Amino acid sequence: MARFVCESREEFLDRLRALVDAGTDPENIRVRMPFYVPEALQVLGEGPDRLRFFALFGGIAGFGSGLALTIYSVLSWPIIVGGKPIVSLPPFLLIGYLLTILFGALGAFAGFLLLARLPSGRSLAADAEFPERFVIAVETGEGA
Amino acid sequence: MRSEEQDKLSAFQRLENDVLAAMRRPGPRYLAAVGLCALLVLMLFALWGGLVWRGMGLSGKNNPVGWAMLITNFVFWVGIAHSGTLISAVLFLFRARFRTSFNRSAEAMTIFALMVAGLFPLIHLGRVWVFYYLLPYPSERLIWPNFRSPLVWDVFAVTTYMIVSLVFFYVGMIPDLAIARRRLPGLRGKIYGLLSLGWEGTLRQWRHYGRLYLFLAAFATPLVASVHSIVSWDFAVSIVPGWHTTIFAPYFVAGAIFSGTAMVLILTIPMRRLLRLEPYITVDHFEAIAKILLFTSLIITYTYIVEHGLAFYGDNPFEHDQYLYRMLGDYRLLFAIMIVCNSLLPLTLFVRRLRRSLTWLFVLGILVNVGMWLERFVIIVTSLAHDYDPYAWGTYNFSLVEFGITVGSFGLFFLLFLLFARLLPVLAVTEIKEHS
Repeated sequence: MARFVCESREEFLDRLRALVDAGTDPENIRVRMPFYVPEALQVLGEGPDRLRFFALFGGIAGFGSGLALTIYSVLSWPIIVGGKPIVSLPPFLLIGYLLTILFGALGAFAGFLLLARLPSGRSLAADAEFPERFVIAVETGEGA
Repeated sequence: MRSEEQDKLSAFQRLENDVLAAMRRPGPRYLAAVGLCALLVLMLFALWGGLVWRGMGLSGKNNPVGWAMLITNFVFWVGIAHSGTLISAVLFLFRARFRTSFNRSAEAMTIFALMVAGLFPLIHLGRVWVFYYLLPYPSERLIWPNFRSPLVWDVFAVTTYMIVSLVFFYVGMIPDLAIARRRLPGLRGKIYGLLSLGWEGTLRQWRHYGRLYLFLAAFATPLVASVHSIVSWDFAVSIVPGWHTTIFAPYFVAGAIFSGTAMVLILTIPMRRLLRLEPYITVDHFEAIAKILLFTSLIITYTYIVEHGLAFYGDNPFEHDQYLYRMLGDYRLLFAIMIVCNSLLPLTLFVRRLRRSLTWLFVLGILVNVGMWLERFVIIVTSLAHDYDPYAWGTYNFSLVEFGITVGSFGLFFLLFLLFARLLPVLAVTEIKEHS
Protein backbone atom coordinates (compact mmCIF):
# COMPACT_ATOMS: atom_id res chain seq x y z
CA MET A 1 0.00 0.00 0.00
CA ALA A 2 1.30 3.44 -0.97
CA ARG A 3 0.59 6.32 1.39
CA PHE A 4 0.83 10.04 0.73
CA VAL A 5 0.44 12.88 3.18
CA CYS A 6 -0.44 16.30 1.75
CA GLU A 7 -0.21 19.61 3.52
CA SER A 8 -2.77 21.58 1.55
CA ARG A 9 -6.01 21.20 -0.36
CA GLU A 10 -4.27 22.05 -3.66
CA GLU A 11 -1.47 19.55 -3.16
CA PHE A 12 -4.02 16.90 -2.16
CA LEU A 13 -6.16 17.48 -5.25
CA ASP A 14 -3.12 17.55 -7.55
CA ARG A 15 -1.92 14.26 -6.11
CA LEU A 16 -5.35 12.69 -6.47
CA ARG A 17 -5.69 13.82 -10.09
CA ALA A 18 -2.21 12.54 -10.86
CA LEU A 19 -3.05 9.14 -9.40
CA VAL A 20 -6.28 8.86 -11.37
CA ASP A 21 -4.60 10.10 -14.57
CA ALA A 22 -1.88 7.50 -14.07
CA GLY A 23 -4.56 4.83 -14.26
CA THR A 24 -5.15 4.06 -10.57
CA ASP A 25 -8.64 2.76 -10.05
CA PRO A 26 -10.50 5.31 -7.83
CA GLU A 27 -11.95 2.29 -6.00
CA ASN A 28 -8.47 1.56 -4.68
CA ILE A 29 -7.86 5.07 -3.40
CA ARG A 30 -8.72 5.77 0.23
CA VAL A 31 -8.55 9.32 1.48
CA ARG A 32 -8.94 11.01 4.84
CA MET A 33 -9.48 14.75 4.90
CA PRO A 34 -9.17 17.23 7.80
CA PHE A 35 -12.01 19.24 6.27
CA TYR A 36 -14.50 18.82 3.47
CA VAL A 37 -13.12 19.20 -0.05
CA PRO A 38 -16.03 18.62 -2.45
CA GLU A 39 -13.70 18.60 -5.47
CA ALA A 40 -12.28 15.27 -4.26
CA LEU A 41 -15.65 13.73 -5.01
CA GLN A 42 -15.45 14.90 -8.61
CA VAL A 43 -11.98 13.40 -9.00
CA LEU A 44 -12.84 10.05 -7.44
CA GLY A 45 -16.43 9.82 -8.70
CA GLU A 46 -19.46 10.85 -6.70
CA GLY A 47 -21.41 7.62 -6.43
CA PRO A 48 -25.16 7.58 -5.95
CA ASP A 49 -26.67 9.99 -3.42
CA ARG A 50 -28.97 7.80 -1.39
CA LEU A 51 -29.27 10.13 1.60
CA ARG A 52 -31.97 12.17 -0.13
CA PHE A 53 -34.27 9.15 -0.12
CA PHE A 54 -34.02 8.93 3.67
CA ALA A 55 -34.94 12.60 3.92
CA LEU A 56 -37.74 12.19 1.40
CA PHE A 57 -39.27 9.11 3.00
CA GLY A 58 -38.89 10.64 6.46
CA GLY A 59 -40.72 13.73 5.29
CA ILE A 60 -43.52 11.75 3.64
CA ALA A 61 -43.87 9.53 6.71
CA GLY A 62 -44.01 12.63 8.93
CA PHE A 63 -46.69 14.30 6.85
CA GLY A 64 -48.73 11.10 6.67
CA SER A 65 -48.46 10.39 10.37
CA GLY A 66 -49.35 14.01 11.22
CA LEU A 67 -52.56 13.80 9.23
CA ALA A 68 -53.29 10.25 10.42
CA LEU A 69 -52.84 11.20 14.07
CA THR A 70 -55.07 14.26 13.91
CA ILE A 71 -57.83 12.72 11.78
CA TYR A 72 -57.85 9.44 13.71
CA SER A 73 -58.01 11.23 17.05
CA VAL A 74 -60.96 13.46 16.12
CA LEU A 75 -62.85 10.61 14.49
CA SER A 76 -62.31 8.33 17.48
CA TRP A 77 -64.03 10.87 19.78
CA PRO A 78 -65.90 13.33 17.58
CA ILE A 79 -66.63 16.47 19.60
CA ILE A 80 -67.46 19.69 17.80
CA VAL A 81 -65.24 22.45 19.21
CA GLY A 82 -65.93 26.10 18.43
CA GLY A 83 -68.27 25.19 15.58
CA LYS A 84 -65.39 23.87 13.48
CA PRO A 85 -65.75 20.75 11.29
CA ILE A 86 -64.73 17.50 12.94
CA VAL A 87 -61.96 17.04 10.39
CA SER A 88 -60.54 20.58 10.27
CA LEU A 89 -57.87 20.31 7.63
CA PRO A 90 -56.10 23.72 7.96
CA PRO A 91 -54.90 23.16 11.53
CA PHE A 92 -54.26 19.48 10.86
CA LEU A 93 -52.04 20.41 7.91
CA LEU A 94 -49.96 22.43 10.35
CA ILE A 95 -49.28 19.33 12.44
CA GLY A 96 -48.50 17.44 9.21
CA TYR A 97 -46.07 20.18 8.16
CA LEU A 98 -44.24 20.15 11.49
CA LEU A 99 -43.95 16.36 11.51
CA THR A 100 -42.70 16.46 7.89
CA ILE A 101 -39.77 18.56 9.06
CA LEU A 102 -39.20 16.51 12.22
CA PHE A 103 -39.29 13.09 10.58
CA GLY A 104 -37.45 14.35 7.48
CA ALA A 105 -34.58 15.66 9.62
CA LEU A 106 -34.48 12.54 11.78
CA GLY A 107 -34.71 10.32 8.68
CA ALA A 108 -31.79 12.16 7.07
CA PHE A 109 -29.76 11.82 10.27
CA ALA A 110 -30.50 8.10 10.53
CA GLY A 111 -29.60 7.71 6.84
CA PHE A 112 -26.32 9.52 7.43
CA LEU A 113 -25.38 7.19 10.27
CA LEU A 114 -26.21 4.19 8.13
CA LEU A 115 -24.48 5.35 4.94
CA ALA A 116 -21.41 6.84 6.65
CA ARG A 117 -21.19 3.69 8.82
CA LEU A 118 -21.23 5.58 12.07
CA PRO A 119 -20.73 5.01 14.93
CA SER A 120 -17.61 3.23 13.85
CA GLY A 121 -16.65 0.63 16.44
CA ARG A 122 -13.52 -0.22 14.46
CA SER A 123 -12.30 3.37 14.56
CA LEU A 124 -13.05 3.72 18.26
CA ALA A 125 -11.41 0.42 19.15
CA ALA A 126 -8.34 0.99 16.98
CA ASP A 127 -7.96 4.58 18.15
CA ALA A 128 -7.97 5.71 14.51
CA GLU A 129 -7.49 9.44 14.36
CA PHE A 130 -9.16 12.18 12.42
CA PRO A 131 -6.03 13.46 10.65
CA GLU A 132 -4.55 16.93 10.75
CA ARG A 133 -3.36 16.62 7.15
CA PHE A 134 -4.75 15.06 3.98
CA VAL A 135 -3.93 11.36 3.76
CA ILE A 136 -4.13 9.31 0.56
CA ALA A 137 -3.72 5.54 0.70
CA VAL A 138 -3.54 3.53 -2.51
CA GLU A 139 -4.21 -0.18 -2.29
CA THR A 140 -1.79 -1.77 -4.70
CA GLY A 141 -3.21 -5.26 -4.61
CA GLU A 142 -0.18 -7.23 -3.37
CA GLY A 143 -0.29 -6.22 0.22
CA ALA A 144 -3.92 -5.27 0.39
CA MET B 1 4.53 28.05 -2.50
CA ARG B 2 5.80 25.53 0.03
CA SER B 3 6.09 28.18 2.72
CA GLU B 4 2.53 29.34 1.93
CA GLU B 5 1.30 25.81 2.59
CA GLN B 6 3.32 25.64 5.78
CA ASP B 7 1.83 28.96 6.89
CA LYS B 8 -1.68 27.68 6.28
CA LEU B 9 -0.99 24.47 8.14
CA SER B 10 0.43 26.28 11.11
CA ALA B 11 -2.58 28.64 11.02
CA PHE B 12 -4.82 25.57 11.20
CA GLN B 13 -2.82 24.23 14.12
CA ARG B 14 -3.05 27.57 15.85
CA LEU B 15 -6.81 27.57 15.30
CA GLU B 16 -7.12 24.11 16.87
CA ASN B 17 -4.84 25.16 19.73
CA ASP B 18 -6.83 28.31 20.43
CA VAL B 19 -10.21 26.60 20.37
CA LEU B 20 -9.02 23.69 22.51
CA ALA B 21 -7.22 26.04 24.91
CA ALA B 22 -10.60 27.58 25.59
CA MET B 23 -11.71 24.12 26.71
CA ARG B 24 -8.80 23.68 29.10
CA ARG B 25 -8.32 26.57 31.46
CA PRO B 26 -11.17 27.68 33.70
CA GLY B 27 -9.98 30.91 35.30
CA PRO B 28 -11.35 32.50 38.48
CA ARG B 29 -13.60 34.91 36.54
CA TYR B 30 -15.19 32.01 34.71
CA LEU B 31 -15.75 30.07 37.92
CA ALA B 32 -17.23 33.15 39.59
CA ALA B 33 -19.64 33.61 36.67
CA VAL B 34 -20.64 29.94 36.85
CA GLY B 35 -21.20 30.26 40.61
CA LEU B 36 -23.36 33.36 40.22
CA CYS B 37 -25.47 31.78 37.48
CA ALA B 38 -25.83 28.57 39.51
CA LEU B 39 -27.19 30.64 42.41
CA LEU B 40 -29.72 32.27 40.10
CA VAL B 41 -30.76 28.83 38.85
CA LEU B 42 -31.24 27.68 42.44
CA MET B 43 -33.41 30.72 43.02
CA LEU B 44 -35.45 29.90 39.90
CA PHE B 45 -36.20 26.36 41.04
CA ALA B 46 -36.81 27.39 44.65
CA LEU B 47 -39.35 29.99 43.55
CA TRP B 48 -40.98 27.56 41.13
CA GLY B 49 -41.19 25.06 43.97
CA GLY B 50 -42.89 27.78 46.02
CA LEU B 51 -45.43 28.36 43.25
CA VAL B 52 -46.19 24.64 43.07
CA TRP B 53 -46.40 24.31 46.85
CA ARG B 54 -48.35 27.46 47.71
CA GLY B 55 -50.25 27.95 44.45
CA MET B 56 -50.42 30.49 41.65
CA GLY B 57 -51.63 33.17 44.05
CA LEU B 58 -47.94 33.91 44.58
CA SER B 59 -47.81 35.29 41.06
CA GLY B 60 -49.30 38.65 40.14
CA LYS B 61 -51.67 37.11 37.58
CA ASN B 62 -55.26 38.07 38.03
CA ASN B 63 -58.55 38.32 36.24
CA PRO B 64 -58.49 39.68 33.48
CA VAL B 65 -54.68 39.48 33.07
CA GLY B 66 -54.25 35.70 33.20
CA TRP B 67 -51.28 35.61 30.83
CA ALA B 68 -48.53 37.85 32.07
CA MET B 69 -44.83 37.76 32.93
CA LEU B 70 -44.38 33.98 32.63
CA ILE B 71 -45.88 33.86 29.14
CA THR B 72 -43.89 36.99 28.23
CA ASN B 73 -40.78 35.02 29.15
CA PHE B 74 -41.88 32.06 27.05
CA VAL B 75 -42.36 34.23 23.96
CA PHE B 76 -39.11 36.11 24.64
CA TRP B 77 -36.97 32.98 24.98
CA VAL B 78 -38.49 31.24 21.94
CA GLY B 79 -37.71 34.43 20.05
CA ILE B 80 -34.10 34.43 21.23
CA ALA B 81 -33.72 30.94 19.77
CA HIS B 82 -34.57 32.08 16.26
CA SER B 83 -31.48 33.98 15.39
CA GLY B 84 -29.38 30.89 16.02
CA THR B 85 -31.18 29.04 13.25
CA LEU B 86 -31.03 32.08 11.00
CA ILE B 87 -27.27 32.28 11.38
CA SER B 88 -26.60 28.56 11.17
CA ALA B 89 -29.11 27.40 8.57
CA VAL B 90 -30.32 30.35 6.51
CA LEU B 91 -26.90 31.98 6.16
CA PHE B 92 -25.47 28.55 5.27
CA LEU B 93 -27.91 28.27 2.37
CA PHE B 94 -27.00 31.82 1.31
CA ARG B 95 -23.29 30.91 1.54
CA ALA B 96 -22.53 33.81 3.90
CA ARG B 97 -19.03 32.96 5.04
CA PHE B 98 -18.97 35.14 8.13
CA ARG B 99 -21.43 32.73 9.73
CA THR B 100 -18.60 30.33 10.61
CA SER B 101 -17.46 32.70 13.35
CA PHE B 102 -20.84 32.65 15.04
CA ASN B 103 -22.75 29.57 14.01
CA ARG B 104 -21.64 27.24 16.83
CA SER B 105 -22.42 29.78 19.57
CA ALA B 106 -25.66 30.74 17.84
CA GLU B 107 -26.79 27.10 17.57
CA ALA B 108 -25.96 26.55 21.24
CA MET B 109 -27.90 29.70 22.05
CA THR B 110 -30.90 28.32 20.15
CA ILE B 111 -30.93 25.11 22.17
CA PHE B 112 -30.42 26.76 25.54
CA ALA B 113 -33.03 29.43 24.82
CA LEU B 114 -35.53 26.70 23.87
CA MET B 115 -34.73 24.77 27.04
CA VAL B 116 -35.42 27.87 29.11
CA ALA B 117 -38.52 28.75 27.06
CA GLY B 118 -39.91 25.25 27.55
CA LEU B 119 -39.94 25.77 31.32
CA PHE B 120 -42.35 28.69 31.22
CA PRO B 121 -45.54 27.02 29.98
CA LEU B 122 -44.88 24.41 32.69
CA ILE B 123 -44.39 27.07 35.38
CA HIS B 124 -47.43 28.97 34.11
CA LEU B 125 -49.48 25.77 34.23
CA GLY B 126 -49.34 25.73 38.01
CA ARG B 127 -50.18 22.07 38.33
CA VAL B 128 -47.09 21.02 36.40
CA TRP B 129 -47.68 17.31 36.98
CA VAL B 130 -50.54 17.31 34.45
CA PHE B 131 -48.45 18.77 31.63
CA TYR B 132 -48.77 15.51 29.72
CA TYR B 133 -52.39 16.35 28.93
CA LEU B 134 -50.95 18.36 26.03
CA LEU B 135 -49.22 15.36 24.52
CA PRO B 136 -51.01 13.08 22.08
CA TYR B 137 -51.06 9.69 23.75
CA PRO B 138 -53.75 7.00 23.68
CA SER B 139 -55.32 7.47 27.10
CA GLU B 140 -57.82 5.07 28.61
CA ARG B 141 -60.30 7.95 28.74
CA LEU B 142 -60.10 8.28 24.93
CA ILE B 143 -59.24 11.95 25.28
CA TRP B 144 -56.91 13.44 22.68
CA PRO B 145 -55.52 16.97 22.54
CA ASN B 146 -57.61 19.46 20.58
CA PHE B 147 -55.55 19.81 17.41
CA ARG B 148 -57.53 22.90 16.44
CA SER B 149 -55.99 24.78 19.36
CA PRO B 150 -52.88 26.94 18.77
CA LEU B 151 -51.57 25.82 22.16
CA VAL B 152 -51.25 22.28 20.82
CA TRP B 153 -49.63 23.58 17.62
CA ASP B 154 -47.17 25.30 19.90
CA VAL B 155 -46.26 22.03 21.62
CA PHE B 156 -45.55 20.43 18.26
CA ALA B 157 -43.73 23.48 16.88
CA VAL B 158 -41.42 24.01 19.84
CA THR B 159 -40.70 20.29 20.26
CA THR B 160 -39.90 19.93 16.55
CA TYR B 161 -37.73 23.01 16.68
CA MET B 162 -35.85 21.72 19.71
CA ILE B 163 -35.16 18.28 18.21
CA VAL B 164 -34.15 19.57 14.76
CA SER B 165 -31.91 22.25 16.32
CA LEU B 166 -30.29 19.66 18.56
CA VAL B 167 -29.56 17.35 15.61
CA PHE B 168 -28.20 20.27 13.57
CA PHE B 169 -26.00 21.40 16.46
CA TYR B 170 -24.66 17.91 17.08
CA VAL B 171 -24.04 17.05 13.43
CA GLY B 172 -22.16 20.30 12.89
CA MET B 173 -19.93 19.43 15.80
CA ILE B 174 -19.00 15.82 14.94
CA PRO B 175 -15.71 16.59 13.08
CA ASP B 176 -14.71 19.11 15.75
CA LEU B 177 -15.34 16.54 18.47
CA ALA B 178 -12.98 14.25 16.56
CA ILE B 179 -10.34 17.00 16.69
CA ALA B 180 -10.90 17.26 20.44
CA ARG B 181 -10.44 13.49 20.62
CA ARG B 182 -7.10 13.78 18.82
CA ARG B 183 -5.85 16.73 20.81
CA LEU B 184 -7.05 16.08 24.36
CA PRO B 185 -5.42 13.40 26.47
CA GLY B 186 -6.89 10.76 28.74
CA LEU B 187 -10.51 10.24 29.63
CA ARG B 188 -11.65 13.53 28.10
CA GLY B 189 -10.21 12.50 24.75
CA LYS B 190 -12.02 9.16 25.00
CA ILE B 191 -15.33 10.84 25.81
CA TYR B 192 -14.95 13.18 22.84
CA GLY B 193 -14.07 10.13 20.73
CA LEU B 194 -17.34 8.45 21.69
CA LEU B 195 -19.25 11.66 21.01
CA SER B 196 -17.59 11.95 17.59
CA LEU B 197 -18.85 8.42 16.82
CA GLY B 198 -15.37 7.40 15.67
CA TRP B 199 -15.22 10.04 12.92
CA GLU B 200 -12.13 9.63 10.71
CA GLY B 201 -12.84 12.08 7.89
CA THR B 202 -13.02 9.51 5.10
CA LEU B 203 -14.44 10.47 1.72
CA ARG B 204 -17.58 8.46 2.40
CA GLN B 205 -18.14 10.20 5.73
CA TRP B 206 -17.54 13.69 4.36
CA ARG B 207 -19.73 13.10 1.32
CA HIS B 208 -22.77 12.07 3.35
CA TYR B 209 -21.95 14.67 5.98
CA GLY B 210 -22.02 17.45 3.38
CA ARG B 211 -25.39 16.26 2.07
CA LEU B 212 -26.82 15.85 5.56
CA TYR B 213 -25.76 19.34 6.58
CA LEU B 214 -27.48 20.76 3.52
CA PHE B 215 -30.67 18.79 4.21
CA LEU B 216 -30.74 19.82 7.84
CA ALA B 217 -30.23 23.47 6.87
CA ALA B 218 -33.09 23.13 4.39
CA PHE B 219 -35.34 21.53 7.02
CA ALA B 220 -34.44 24.09 9.68
CA THR B 221 -34.90 27.13 7.46
CA PRO B 222 -38.73 27.02 7.27
CA LEU B 223 -38.78 26.59 11.04
CA VAL B 224 -37.27 30.08 11.38
CA ALA B 225 -40.47 31.44 9.89
CA SER B 226 -42.98 28.94 11.18
CA VAL B 227 -42.20 28.45 14.86
CA HIS B 228 -42.62 32.05 15.94
CA SER B 229 -45.57 32.38 13.55
CA ILE B 230 -47.24 29.59 15.49
CA VAL B 231 -46.32 31.25 18.78
CA SER B 232 -47.92 34.45 17.47
CA TRP B 233 -51.10 32.52 16.64
CA ASP B 234 -51.48 31.71 20.35
CA PHE B 235 -52.59 35.34 20.39
CA ALA B 236 -53.79 36.13 16.88
CA VAL B 237 -56.28 33.25 16.69
CA SER B 238 -58.17 34.71 19.66
CA ILE B 239 -60.57 37.65 19.28
CA VAL B 240 -58.89 39.91 21.85
CA PRO B 241 -58.34 43.45 20.49
CA GLY B 242 -54.68 44.09 19.82
CA TRP B 243 -54.02 40.36 19.32
CA HIS B 244 -56.45 39.48 16.54
CA THR B 245 -54.45 40.73 13.58
CA THR B 246 -52.97 39.10 10.49
CA ILE B 247 -49.66 40.91 10.79
CA PHE B 248 -48.75 39.01 13.95
CA ALA B 249 -46.86 36.13 12.31
CA PRO B 250 -44.29 38.17 10.32
CA TYR B 251 -44.19 40.71 13.15
CA PHE B 252 -43.22 38.03 15.69
CA VAL B 253 -40.71 36.39 13.35
CA ALA B 254 -38.93 39.67 12.68
CA GLY B 255 -38.94 40.45 16.39
CA ALA B 256 -37.55 37.02 17.16
CA ILE B 257 -34.64 37.41 14.76
CA PHE B 258 -34.05 40.94 16.03
CA SER B 259 -33.82 39.93 19.69
CA GLY B 260 -31.85 36.76 18.90
CA THR B 261 -29.29 38.71 16.91
CA ALA B 262 -28.90 41.09 19.84
CA MET B 263 -28.36 38.09 22.13
CA VAL B 264 -25.65 36.76 19.78
CA LEU B 265 -23.83 40.06 20.32
CA ILE B 266 -24.28 39.87 24.09
CA LEU B 267 -22.84 36.35 24.17
CA THR B 268 -20.06 36.51 21.61
CA ILE B 269 -18.50 39.89 22.41
CA PRO B 270 -17.37 38.85 25.93
CA MET B 271 -16.73 35.26 24.82
CA ARG B 272 -14.37 36.46 22.07
CA ARG B 273 -12.39 38.46 24.58
CA LEU B 274 -12.32 35.94 27.42
CA LEU B 275 -11.40 33.00 25.19
CA ARG B 276 -9.02 35.13 23.09
CA LEU B 277 -10.75 34.39 19.82
CA GLU B 278 -10.06 37.80 18.25
CA PRO B 279 -8.29 36.35 15.18
CA TYR B 280 -11.34 34.27 14.28
CA ILE B 281 -14.24 36.55 15.21
CA THR B 282 -13.24 39.83 13.66
CA VAL B 283 -14.77 43.29 13.82
CA ASP B 284 -15.89 42.79 10.19
CA HIS B 285 -17.92 39.80 11.34
CA PHE B 286 -19.55 41.86 14.06
CA GLU B 287 -20.32 44.55 11.54
CA ALA B 288 -22.18 41.98 9.43
CA ILE B 289 -24.22 40.96 12.47
CA ALA B 290 -24.89 44.65 13.22
CA LYS B 291 -26.31 45.03 9.72
CA ILE B 292 -28.75 42.17 10.38
CA LEU B 293 -29.71 43.91 13.63
CA LEU B 294 -30.30 47.20 11.84
CA PHE B 295 -32.29 45.55 9.06
CA THR B 296 -34.56 43.66 11.45
CA SER B 297 -35.01 46.80 13.56
CA LEU B 298 -36.32 48.60 10.48
CA ILE B 299 -38.76 45.73 9.85
CA ILE B 300 -39.90 45.93 13.46
CA THR B 301 -40.45 49.68 13.22
CA TYR B 302 -42.42 49.14 10.03
CA THR B 303 -44.64 46.55 11.73
CA TYR B 304 -45.25 48.89 14.69
CA ILE B 305 -46.45 51.50 12.21
CA VAL B 306 -48.57 48.98 10.30
CA GLU B 307 -50.28 47.50 13.35
CA HIS B 308 -51.17 50.94 14.67
CA GLY B 309 -52.11 52.04 11.16
CA LEU B 310 -54.41 49.05 10.71
CA ALA B 311 -56.15 49.82 13.98
CA PHE B 312 -56.75 53.47 13.13
CA TYR B 313 -57.56 52.91 9.46
CA GLY B 314 -60.06 50.18 10.31
CA ASP B 315 -63.42 50.99 11.78
CA ASN B 316 -63.25 48.93 14.95
CA PRO B 317 -63.66 51.08 18.08
CA PHE B 318 -62.23 48.35 20.32
CA GLU B 319 -59.05 48.22 18.24
CA HIS B 320 -58.82 52.03 18.27
CA ASP B 321 -59.18 52.07 21.99
CA GLN B 322 -56.72 49.24 22.55
CA TYR B 323 -53.94 50.93 20.57
CA LEU B 324 -54.55 54.28 22.27
CA TYR B 325 -54.39 52.48 25.60
CA ARG B 326 -51.14 50.82 24.60
CA MET B 327 -49.51 54.16 23.80
CA LEU B 328 -51.09 56.36 26.44
CA GLY B 329 -52.54 54.06 29.11
CA ASP B 330 -51.19 52.49 32.28
CA TYR B 331 -48.19 50.93 30.51
CA ARG B 332 -47.18 53.98 28.43
CA LEU B 333 -43.73 54.19 29.99
CA LEU B 334 -42.95 50.60 28.98
CA PHE B 335 -44.29 51.32 25.49
CA ALA B 336 -42.03 54.38 25.20
CA ILE B 337 -38.95 52.44 26.35
CA MET B 338 -39.82 49.75 23.83
CA ILE B 339 -39.92 52.27 20.97
CA VAL B 340 -36.64 53.87 22.03
CA CYS B 341 -34.81 50.54 22.38
CA ASN B 342 -36.23 48.76 19.34
CA SER B 343 -36.79 51.52 16.80
CA LEU B 344 -34.65 54.54 17.64
CA LEU B 345 -31.37 53.34 19.17
CA PRO B 346 -30.66 50.75 16.44
CA LEU B 347 -30.71 53.61 13.90
CA THR B 348 -27.28 54.52 15.27
CA LEU B 349 -26.02 51.50 13.34
CA PHE B 350 -26.28 53.54 10.16
CA VAL B 351 -23.03 55.09 11.40
CA ARG B 352 -20.17 52.82 10.40
CA ARG B 353 -18.03 53.74 13.40
CA LEU B 354 -20.76 52.61 15.78
CA ARG B 355 -21.36 49.40 13.80
CA ARG B 356 -17.71 48.60 14.42
CA SER B 357 -17.64 49.61 18.08
CA LEU B 358 -17.91 46.41 20.11
CA THR B 359 -18.68 48.33 23.29
CA TRP B 360 -21.65 50.02 21.65
CA LEU B 361 -22.82 46.77 20.04
CA PHE B 362 -22.73 45.03 23.43
CA VAL B 363 -24.67 47.85 25.13
CA LEU B 364 -27.11 48.02 22.22
CA GLY B 365 -27.61 44.24 22.39
CA ILE B 366 -28.67 44.55 26.02
CA LEU B 367 -30.96 47.52 25.29
CA VAL B 368 -32.58 45.76 22.34
CA ASN B 369 -33.31 42.74 24.50
CA VAL B 370 -34.80 44.98 27.16
CA GLY B 371 -36.95 46.54 24.44
CA MET B 372 -37.99 43.20 22.97
CA TRP B 373 -38.88 41.76 26.37
CA LEU B 374 -41.01 44.84 27.01
CA GLU B 375 -42.61 44.50 23.57
CA ARG B 376 -43.90 41.03 24.44
CA PHE B 377 -45.01 42.23 27.87
CA VAL B 378 -46.85 45.21 26.39
CA ILE B 379 -48.57 43.10 23.73
CA ILE B 380 -49.69 40.45 26.19
CA VAL B 381 -50.66 42.53 29.20
CA THR B 382 -52.26 45.62 27.64
CA SER B 383 -54.62 43.59 25.45
CA LEU B 384 -55.87 41.51 28.38
CA ALA B 385 -56.01 44.48 30.74
CA HIS B 386 -58.21 46.51 28.45
CA ASP B 387 -60.40 44.44 26.12
CA TYR B 388 -64.11 44.81 25.30
CA ASP B 389 -65.99 45.27 28.54
CA PRO B 390 -64.94 48.22 30.76
CA TYR B 391 -66.35 46.37 33.79
CA ALA B 392 -63.80 43.61 33.14
CA TRP B 393 -60.80 45.93 32.78
CA GLY B 394 -57.94 45.64 35.23
CA THR B 395 -54.21 46.09 35.52
CA TYR B 396 -51.38 43.74 36.25
CA ASN B 397 -48.33 44.16 38.39
CA PHE B 398 -45.76 41.41 38.61
CA SER B 399 -44.95 39.76 41.93
CA LEU B 400 -41.43 39.31 43.29
CA VAL B 401 -41.79 35.58 42.68
CA GLU B 402 -42.36 36.13 38.96
CA PHE B 403 -39.53 38.65 38.85
CA GLY B 404 -37.20 36.20 40.59
CA ILE B 405 -38.15 33.42 38.18
CA THR B 406 -37.45 35.75 35.25
CA VAL B 407 -34.02 36.68 36.60
CA GLY B 408 -33.39 32.99 37.33
CA SER B 409 -34.18 32.10 33.73
CA PHE B 410 -31.38 34.39 32.58
CA GLY B 411 -29.13 32.66 35.10
CA LEU B 412 -30.04 29.26 33.64
CA PHE B 413 -29.44 30.44 30.08
CA PHE B 414 -26.05 31.96 30.85
CA LEU B 415 -25.03 28.97 32.98
CA LEU B 416 -25.74 26.59 30.09
CA PHE B 417 -23.80 28.84 27.73
CA LEU B 418 -20.84 29.08 30.10
CA LEU B 419 -20.72 25.28 30.39
CA PHE B 420 -20.91 24.99 26.61
CA ALA B 421 -18.00 27.43 26.19
CA ARG B 422 -15.83 25.27 28.43
CA LEU B 423 -16.89 21.78 27.36
CA LEU B 424 -17.46 21.96 23.60
CA PRO B 425 -15.59 23.60 20.68
CA VAL B 426 -17.01 27.13 20.47
CA LEU B 427 -15.93 27.63 16.88
CA ALA B 428 -16.71 25.46 13.87
CA VAL B 429 -13.04 24.54 13.35
CA THR B 430 -13.40 22.38 10.24
CA GLU B 431 -15.72 24.89 8.59
CA ILE B 432 -13.29 27.73 9.21
CA LYS B 433 -10.51 25.60 7.72
CA GLU B 434 -12.71 24.78 4.73
CA HIS B 435 -13.38 28.44 3.98
CA SER B 436 -9.89 29.76 4.63
